[in-house]
Amino acid sequence: MDQITNRTIPAVEVENLTVSYGPQPALLDISFDVPQGTLVGIIGPNGSGKSTLIKAILGFKKPDVGEVRLFGESVERARGRVAYVPQHGSVDWEFPVTVREVALMGRYGNVPWWRDLSAEDKLCADEALEMVRMSEFAKRQIGQLSGGQRQRVFMARAMAQGADILLLDEPFAGVDAATERAILDVLRRTKEAGRTLLVVHHDLATAAEYFDRLILLKQKLYAYGPPHAVLHQELLSAVYEGRLRIFQDLPSAEDFHA
Amino acid sequence: MLEFLWTSFVEPLSQQSFQKALIGGSLVATVCAVVGCYIILRRMAFLGDALSHAMLAGVVAGYLLMHLIFDVEAHALAMFVGSIIAGVITVLLIGFVSQVTRIKEDTAIGIMYTGIFAFGGILASYFSDRIHLDLYHFVTGMVLGVNDSKLWLMAIVAALVLSVVILFFRQLQITSFDPIMAASIGIPVVLFDYLLTICTSLVVVSAVQLVGVILVVGLLVTPAATAYLICDRLHRMQILAAVFGVTGVTGGLYVSTWIGNIATGPSIVLVITLQFVVVLLVAPRYGLIADWLRRTRLVPQRVIEDIMRSLLKADPAPLSIEKIIEYVEATSDQIHKSLRKLTLQDLISNGGGQLALTDKGRQESRKILRAHRLWETYLSHVGTPEEQLHGRAHNLEHLHDEETVDYLDDKLGHPLVDPHGAAIPEDFVHLVPGTVVKSAILREGRSGTIESVPDELERKLQVGSRVTAGPRRDNGRTWTFVLESGEEITLDHHGADAVEVRLDEE
Repeated sequence: MDQITNRTIPAVEVENLTVSYGPQPALLDISFDVPQGTLVGIIGPNGSGKSTLIKAILGFKKPDVGEVRLFGESVERARGRVAYVPQHGSVDWEFPVTVREVALMGRYGNVPWWRDLSAEDKLCADEALEMVRMSEFAKRQIGQLSGGQRQRVFMARAMAQGADILLLDEPFAGVDAATERAILDVLRRTKEAGRTLLVVHHDLATAAEYFDRLILLKQKLYAYGPPHAVLHQELLSAVYEGRLRIFQDLPSAEDFHA
Repeated sequence: MLEFLWTSFVEPLSQQSFQKALIGGSLVATVCAVVGCYIILRRMAFLGDALSHAMLAGVVAGYLLMHLIFDVEAHALAMFVGSIIAGVITVLLIGFVSQVTRIKEDTAIGIMYTGIFAFGGILASYFSDRIHLDLYHFVTGMVLGVNDSKLWLMAIVAALVLSVVILFFRQLQITSFDPIMAASIGIPVVLFDYLLTICTSLVVVSAVQLVGVILVVGLLVTPAATAYLICDRLHRMQILAAVFGVTGVTGGLYVSTWIGNIATGPSIVLVITLQFVVVLLVAPRYGLIADWLRRTRLVPQRVIEDIMRSLLKADPAPLSIEKIIEYVEATSDQIHKSLRKLTLQDLISNGGGQLALTDKGRQESRKILRAHRLWETYLSHVGTPEEQLHGRAHNLEHLHDEETVDYLDDKLGHPLVDPHGAAIPEDFVHLVPGTVVKSAILREGRSGTIESVPDELERKLQVGSRVTAGPRRDNGRTWTFVLESGEEITLDHHGADAVEVRLDEE
């Protein structure tokens, strides 16, 4: 968190990114810049390469062509400045670990294996829990939390990590409306603290309201920009191939340019 | 009595074979349990089973090598190293098959370990005239035949594995819990996976000496699973698992000496299984009895809510228990249970049989009242006959989750009174000082600062100006607000929903 970064350098720069599994490209020639302090939604049908994009930004998946830069640096050099918040379903909620221990995991990358966590690390984790209003649950096992609280624990871990870029995989999947609000509130406050968030999202109905910008993906980058420019009928029916009927209320391109 | 205790507990301790078995067994059980915690959390139990079988090939190969080349019989270290090598080869083959082909990992494990076990079996039978290896012991363990060199091996394995677990506690924890996150902060996940597998092989090889091939998995997973039913933190789970492992080995050894003529391996595993069953029943949170108690203590939410509504009706006067039993439709047992629960949650206070709502309870029961009156309004709206309104709303009021109530309130245009003319309590769930709310839910007298205004209303209202809600007009269809200048503006439902106001701090 001590790096002094020029506010004008994009948090995430993706340039001609092509990633493939076997002969089939999962992502084809993707380019976009995300400025610092933006809340970006990544939308697209199943299997459209959303998680591949996340993996590429995390540096797990080497690009065939193109590159990803974080704050102007290569992914390897920026490691630690980007944090991953897992999908609800991929976490073992019965794992014997408390809320505070999860937040502390955010510090593991900063501590060499032969040394114990310092008082400073512990303070940092506690502050992160405070930030997402989870301090009172610090000693709970993570399975004993409600949906929104569970999400907040992992947000705290990402903050304890000192990450400036947060990648969230479907944080709103399978939560009730009140929880969805609570999570959104945390995302917005995180953004207001100057962090950049990339969120994989599946609900088109709420996408416009939640995000500053949207990335519409299906192997290729179909659109990137403010929600009103991305969410219009022609684009969406091209990407979803008419599988969704909820676009009827959306402006078509003619309305939009008129 | 004292004599009985002496002969059953102390006397066996004086036998050297028993001492060695107890020391070796405790060492092995401790590391098994500690590593077993990772095994069950990572769902690797089948792999543990596979490793124990695959080592037969290694044991035989190690034996043959020393026998044929150096003419040494049953060289412990060679057999030990042989089994580790067999274990590692098995793991590599499993990894290769499951990653390169479409075969899933559990199938790959099944294929590889039976194949290697079979190879070991063929070696052992082909050279049976030269090998003095008792396959029966390999299957059931031979703990009372633990000799010094084996004891040393067990001690070294225990020291090695425990050091790894203590030194790399954090890394093993996070790679078990969230490997993606671990990799993203630069922890070499694959390396730790292999380290853990090697530890498992080491532990399994020494455990086979104790309980035999078939029962190794029991020693590995049962004490860990027993601890898992009690603990919510990994290091405590590991410590407790070690304790259960040691008590299991000790208990099993005693049982086998008392009864005599029964194999020690099965008797150890039986004792740890019994420990598991007992804990499964009595564990404080995850046990079956605790679960059963929780379910029988449950009283229907309907009864609880009906009690609160009767108390709210009488509020601020208290009600006696007899009155409540009279008003609320439920068995007196259910009512007593509900009252206990309500008192425990600090929703009601009990002053000598006279019950009254606390502030928290008043809030909670107003929430139910609000739901009731909104449901009544809704039912009358959809044409339900007047005489049925109350009864049906009474059933529906239990649907008072925030989302449902918000939906009803909005659909009905945020009504002020129900069809009987009774006031609907205001939306106090959202009216939290300092937060931003839709101006439509503000009742007369509420004030705040405008936070956002839709484009079409920008001429009427500015962000940042203060407003106070005035009375509703046109049967509640028009909202009025008074600006600081004294000017009054009116909004329709749609407009009032779109304007957001930040409520004053308290």
